Amino acid sequence: MSTSPPIRIVLAKVGLDGHDRGVKVVARGLRDAGFHVIYSGLWQTPEAVIRMVADEDADFLGISLLSGAHLTLIPRIMELLRQANLEHVGVFVGGIIPESDVPRLLEMGVRRVFGPGTTIPETVEFIRQQPRSHLAPA
Amino acid sequence: MTLSAWWGRFQNHDRLALARLITWAAQGQQVAELWQRLKERPDSGPPARVIAFTGSGGVGKSTLVGRMLESFRAKGRRVAILACDPESPLTGGALLGDRLRMPAAADDEVYIRSLATPGGHEAVPEHLDLIVALVAAFGFEIILLETVGAGQGDTAARHLVDLLVLLVQPETGDDIQWEKAGLLEVADVVVVHKADMPGADRTLAQVQSLLHLPGCRDVPVMRVSSQTREGIDALRDLLETSPTQRHPSRWTSATLLRLAQERLADDWRSRPEALAALVARVQAGALAPAAAADLLRQPAP
Repeated sequence: MSTSPPIRIVLAKVGLDGHDRGVKVVARGLRDAGFHVIYSGLWQTPEAVIRMVADEDADFLGISLLSGAHLTLIPRIMELLRQANLEHVGVFVGGIIPESDVPRLLEMGVRRVFGPGTTIPETVEFIRQQPRSHLAPA
Repeated sequence: MTLSAWWGRFQNHDRLALARLITWAAQGQQVAELWQRLKERPDSGPPARVIAFTGSGGVGKSTLVGRMLESFRAKGRRVAILACDPESPLTGGALLGDRLRMPAAADDEVYIRSLATPGGHEAVPEHLDLIVALVAAFGFEIILLETVGAGQGDTAARHLVDLLVLLVQPETGDDIQWEKAGLLEVADVVVVHKADMPGADRTLAQVQSLLHLPGCRDVPVMRVSSQTREGIDALRDLLETSPTQRHPSRWTSATLLRLAQERLADDWRSRPEALAALVARVQAGALAPAAAADLLRQPAP
């Protein structure tokens, strides 16, 4: 067990998307990698997710989307994060995202898009390599 | 950002500051400083009422806490939930999944926070008392604490809270099981949850016969169903009006020893170099762990 404070990750399902097998597998994998994972449950609004990220003092927000609504929901979430002074939170997206949409999501500030076939170690490695600027008290 | 800056934002009612200070408290950082600042703060309003919910896994703690949140909100109370889940003793990871059983609207008068409890320890995280004090100082009137449900360890929450609610459900073992668990002794209210299920009346009768022996203190037993909402508002009214149990007479040798441990640990955490030097000697095999522990019992240099 490392002595550094555990990384806190909110995993969220947003909008009308009822499939959460994938996000549950990711949640389990990230837990086993030593992270603290908070799962939102299905059918969350962007507003509720932002409130969750704020109240939980999360370092990362992972959004699982299989509904095809990513170009509607992700811009909304990124905008709400900015409004809530939560720019330090690293956002990653997983699920069914067409290749051609990935650059647009990255432009909006999403740090990484994980498609089908992504392994848990890949996700863990990505999170470990991200900077965690905000945790030290001083 | 420094503690002073975050504290200023906390005083200005910034939720992000509340969240960050809780993170520090949960990590054992800045504990003495935060207590000091809380003490220096002008007293504002009546103290919060802290209510813990405990019971074995699957008895419906998260669901009932979610229902109580709705019920207290319907009366206009400002409500915070602290939901505890265990941390893996092997990896330190935790899956904090209780939020998904609670209403999720972005309500300014509600604060929900998931907390990991260290593996193999008590049913509540370290410095929970500080976390509760921060949430109360932020202005939340009702603090609902959901414990891990680890059985007897839950009695650790006892001296931190005003009321302890024990949940039992139909068809769970015989009377002896509850006697053994020792939880009935510390419960202020017993809820027979899932009262819509068959066998609830039998369970209710069993609990009552255990509790209402001559010479025992009077502990209310309630039938509640989160499914049908039976008993939800009645439970809320009871929890709001019951005399608070956080009384000096509740301290025991166990809770005092625990407090002494915590204070000693805090002393040493505030001197990380001295502690690290001691750890290094133990790891190098130059000092036996028991001898190091004896040194730790002396005042830190």
